Amino acid sequence: MMERCLGAYRWRRMQRAFRQFKVTIICLLLTIVVLRGTIGAGKFGTPEQDYLEIRDHLIHTSRKRAEPHRVLEEVQPQQTMASDSSSSGGGGSATTNSYTEFDINTILKDEEPDDKPDPNKPYSLGPKISDWDEQRATWLKENPQFPNFIGPNKPRVLLVTGSSPKPCENPVGDHYLLKSIKNKIDYCRLHGVEVFYNMALLDAEMAGFWAKLPLIRKLLLSHPEIEFLWWMDSDAMFTDMAFEVPWERYRDSNFVMHGWNEMVYDEKNWIGLNTGSFLLRNCQWSLDILDSWAPMGPKGKVREEAGKILTRELKNRPVFEADDQSAMVYLLATQRDKWGDKVYLENAYYLHGYWGILVDRYEEMIENYHPGLGDHRWPLVTHFVGCKPCGKFGDYPVERCLKQMDRAFNFGDNQILQMYGFTHKSLASRRVKRVRNETSNPLEVKDELGLLHPAFKAVKVSSS
Amino acid sequence: MGQDNFMTQKRNLSLPTTAAAGNGRAFVGGGRGALRGKHVQKTFNNIKITILCGFVTILVLRGTIGIGSLGSSDALNQNLIEETNRILAEIRSDSDPIDPNDPPEPDVNPNTTYSLGPKILNWDSDRRNWLEGNPEFPSYVNGKPKVLLLTGSPPNPCDNPMGDHYLLKAVKNKIDYCRIHGIEIVYNMAHLDKELAGYWAKLPMIRRLMLSHPEVEWIWWMDSDALFTDMVFQVPLSKYSKHNLVIHGYPDLLFDQKSWIALNTGSFLFRNCQWSLDLLDAWAPMGPKGPIRDEAGKILTANLKGRPAFEADDQSALIYLLISRQDKWMDKVYVENSYYLHGFWAGLVDRYEEMIDKYHPGLGDERWPFVTHFVGCKPCGSYGDYPVERCLRSMERAFNFADNQVLKLYGFGHRGLLSPKIKRVRNETATPLEYVDKFNIRRASHSL
Repeated sequence: MMERCLGAYRWRRMQRAFRQFKVTIICLLLTIVVLRGTIGAGKFGTPEQDYLEIRDHLIHTSRKRAEPHRVLEEVQPQQTMASDSSSSGGGGSATTNSYTEFDINTILKDEEPDDKPDPNKPYSLGPKISDWDEQRATWLKENPQFPNFIGPNKPRVLLVTGSSPKPCENPVGDHYLLKSIKNKIDYCRLHGVEVFYNMALLDAEMAGFWAKLPLIRKLLLSHPEIEFLWWMDSDAMFTDMAFEVPWERYRDSNFVMHGWNEMVYDEKNWIGLNTGSFLLRNCQWSLDILDSWAPMGPKGKVREEAGKILTRELKNRPVFEADDQSAMVYLLATQRDKWGDKVYLENAYYLHGYWGILVDRYEEMIENYHPGLGDHRWPLVTHFVGCKPCGKFGDYPVERCLKQMDRAFNFGDNQILQMYGFTHKSLASRRVKRVRNETSNPLEVKDELGLLHPAFKAVKVSSS
Repeated sequence: MGQDNFMTQKRNLSLPTTAAAGNGRAFVGGGRGALRGKHVQKTFNNIKITILCGFVTILVLRGTIGIGSLGSSDALNQNLIEETNRILAEIRSDSDPIDPNDPPEPDVNPNTTYSLGPKILNWDSDRRNWLEGNPEFPSYVNGKPKVLLLTGSPPNPCDNPMGDHYLLKAVKNKIDYCRIHGIEIVYNMAHLDKELAGYWAKLPMIRRLMLSHPEVEWIWWMDSDALFTDMVFQVPLSKYSKHNLVIHGYPDLLFDQKSWIALNTGSFLFRNCQWSLDLLDAWAPMGPKGPIRDEAGKILTANLKGRPAFEADDQSALIYLLISRQDKWMDKVYVENSYYLHGFWAGLVDRYEEMIDKYHPGLGDERWPFVTHFVGCKPCGSYGDYPVERCLRSMERAFNFADNQVLKLYGFGHRGLLSPKIKRVRNETATPLEYVDKFNIRRASHSL
């Protein structure tokens, strides 16, 4: 037929040409396909988008599958789902009233760029101060209304904790941070301790676990009335509301951490002490140890190299960048004569209590013991090391971590609620129930633990 | 057809060669094998391009779409994600493990008036006696009365993660103000009375705290969506020596217009005394959830100007109570509007830069608001009354505006009111105490 149209000779020529060029044509087609695959074809989308659309369409029927994807990922504008909340379209428009589709990063913005530190200058926390003890003593004398001791054996203490100023990656992370700070507020209210919740990164060089060092130094220098600074990680919770730290025991010490002397000085074990909960006195010695502690911290090459040294020198340490805890073990083990006499490694009570060995025993503790002990029978602090509730991934299964954090929170909260005649229905429950009836003579009722008006909160009575 | 002719011609052409090759060979069988081999080769030649194309297509598709569910690691990830989400969903739900041994809780009898607790009659004298008997727990320290700030939020996670993040920031803001001014905080996360849930939950908690802490002189309720924006300003408690309730509002809106927003119960102070207990008892009856609250809501909508129809809330109920029993209560109520004990956010948040330019902290009023209250934003729920972007942007700005006042002592400030990062505003020195003397708010307020 074609031949009749064009003529046999022409047709033959065309066929020959076609045969010769078929490879070329196929290659051209392939190129177009590949380009469409990578760059996309404008409104036709890429094959991946097609695939997603098809998948979503199939999933549409079983809605449950689609929802979880949205939960774990950061809230992203939904481009493909043509479902219920279509009012906002894509990208969190300015008029939506729904919080579930909003991306906070669209509003946060820095107005100034980061400072670039001078790579040649060795890192320092600040200008060297050599006479802090004298400066502070003078200030305290001039300001008698801010004594550093608020009771005969009670120093003024500032509890410092903190978290990132950006929302957690884990959708329930902020909720656990909130519960954790409530727990600390409760303990500190009972014990007359002030709280500082930090949400500012003071020094971009010392980010991550090292961020506490510049903060601690800054707070010590800005609050000369503070006698002790108590650093506590955001994943640590108070579980003994009645235990008062034995301040007289640390009369001659400047740095109190939970740990064991043998594990630090003899074994050089990297978990020989814990820097998740420690006390630091406000004095020249503390400024000096902070200055000696800091050099392994600056991020980048310094921290990486320091990490290698620490892994080599310390027992059982895995390979990762330098962290503040390992650096402290190394510092104490290598310079014991310089620092050791003022460091108290406490293990008579759980100034830091590793959660793994404690959380399953709460019911047993409630049966057999009572608050006020602070040790393995009723731990002062339960520290959820490795759980990282604010991040997406921790070292332990999510379910165990979060459920146990709830239990620890309720365990501590029960001691607060019992002051008011309530308790949680169970260690896993958020609901509370009454355990003491209301009376018309509330002042005659004493709470069991004596926490409403405890001795350690009593104000000095001036003899008149 | 022409094509066929051509093809047969080709075949005819090829055959003789094969035959020629076959002639060259001694065996007929060898000729047939060679023919088959050639046949295969020809087929292969023809389809080699097809094979090549197929191969490349597979490569390209794999490159763009991926192997998908064929990969085992992906399946593992999917399982992990599903497991995590199941746990998160469980945590966020309001469900509780129900104990079968618990007796079923009795419903509130709508015929009896709801009561917060047994009637207390001599609280003033009881409290005075207790204070005399316990001088180590005084109600006035250094001439200042002891204040307890009460705030709270529901015990379960917010419907969206942004809500919890802003609750956390709000509590940090309150911790900062209260540390500077020596106020204690109680953060409540328990529903003490399941009848009075929601905005009514503050009533039983206030009563409970008053009765348990006789040493506290004032109880200050503050909503979780209210932020302190003036870190220097102190509530002038000496002004209220003859009053027992301090609340922000406008008397003309209250008495003349009977408006449902004449007062704001997002931030108010209650003195710890018999009068307050009586007021709480008179306030509570509209609270119990269910038919009582709904009916009460209808009464309130009918009697207050501008109130939409919804169940009774504590603010409308208080306004109604104070209007209808003016003679009984109003002489001890101070309706404050000379400073923003509660400051509605919409008119304030856009002016922060102007305030920083022209004014200074310590004023507490429209020039530098004491409290910025994000009414209607409801970040803990799924939907608010205002656009989300506006709410969150404003809350971030208010938080940073206040945080700058706290960070000033340490020589830092935010890099812009919308930035979570900070920058140094004062160089480090070897004599930090001179700046402490200059910038410490607590020290300044103490010497007042």
